[in-house]
Amino acid sequence: MISSDVIRGYNDTMILYLLFHKPSYGYEISKQIRIMTDEKYVIKETTLYSAFKRLEANGLIDSFAGTKTNGKPRTYYRITDDGRKYYKEKCDEWKVTQEVVEKFILKENEDGNN
Amino acid sequence: METIRNYLENMFLGLPLTDDIIAAKEELLGMMEDKYQELKNEGKTENEAIGIVISEFGNLDELAETLGIKATVKQKTELPIVSYERAEQYIEEARAVAPKTALGVWLCIMSPTVLLTLLGLYGIKLISVREDFLVAIGLICIIVFVAIAVSIFIRYSGKLDEYEDLQEIAFKLDYKTEQMVSEVWAQEKPNYSSAVSSSVIAYIISGLPVIVSPLLIENEGIPVLAVVVTLTIVAFATYNLISKGGVNEACKVLLQVEDYEIKKKSNKTYKVVSQVYWLLAVAIYLGYSFITNNWHISWIIWPVAGVLFGAIKIIILR
Repeated sequence: MISSDVIRGYNDTMILYLLFHKPSYGYEISKQIRIMTDEKYVIKETTLYSAFKRLEANGLIDSFAGTKTNGKPRTYYRITDDGRKYYKEKCDEWKVTQEVVEKFILKENEDGNN
Repeated sequence: METIRNYLENMFLGLPLTDDIIAAKEELLGMMEDKYQELKNEGKTENEAIGIVISEFGNLDELAETLGIKATVKQKTELPIVSYERAEQYIEEARAVAPKTALGVWLCIMSPTVLLTLLGLYGIKLISVREDFLVAIGLICIIVFVAIAVSIFIRYSGKLDEYEDLQEIAFKLDYKTEQMVSEVWAQEKPNYSSAVSSSVIAYIISGLPVIVSPLLIENEGIPVLAVVVTLTIVAFATYNLISKGGVNEACKVLLQVEDYEIKKKSNKTYKVVSQVYWLLAVAIYLGYSFITNNWHISWIIWPVAGVLFGAIKIIILR
């Protein structure tokens, strides 16, 4: 499992990706993250909630009240235009990051012990 | 499911109940419930599901910044916590002690009744023994009643002493304890309310025999016997009130509601003044009665002292 410190900067990207096409709610998003990463990354509830609030405060997502099956209120989140723009920026940023970090990763055949 | 709620409530314990925090708590609970439900549906046991939900919850520090409660999260642990066991013990002690205290008070109020009954019967010529002989028996009864009452007070009042700090300092209960105390209080409150109303009615009625009896029969003994009836009514009403009030009071202290704040401030002064006051009242009652031998009227000191004490209490606690 990935440590949450390493991935911290990319929680926003994951959340925005999952909201990109349709609104969703807390548990649904955390479940999607777990499934998509083959359980290599499980986002903590507190991490997810504070990410929601931060994104909301920055105008990247907004929230609205929906109802869940048993009638209890549930907060849904929806991406904004700013959020879409920000998501694209983060994707570009990641490509560069990946490229940069990749240069410092030993390849199998370069490893003296292979 | 209850375990998860407890866990969450404990995490948020002592935080101010702002809208943001309430909303955060609700949404987090929602997420946890969803996850729990799904784990159960996948065939996990109750314990497994709870374990996973709690281990994946994260920690409050992460929320602190977003919710603007950073300072609060840091200092929230400063208030002492009253444990579930201690709260439970306090309620149980209060439940056990209240009837004993009530009995002591009952004995004090009833103490002059034997004397008064004998004098009353003597007054209506039902017994024809020498009057000072009757007075002697009556006085012995007063002393015996009061002695038993005092021994009860000494024996049981100490039991609640170790919980006195609860009335003097601010503390907090964890969620589970608060639930428990609230439940006990909810059960107890109707009993106590009905005890209060029935006792108040009894107090009001208690005056009637003294007022009415002289109008009906003109006799030296009757008013004295009427006082016995009055005292008996007062004694039982007070017994009822005190014995039912113990748990109610303990719950109020534990939940830190109603007059708790006032008590906190001037508990000490109040205690000293009330002790001196009632001892003084007893001294005046006994002194006046012995010197003047006006036992048939000197009981009036008690209702007067009671009302006056109410006034003094308000002045001290203001």
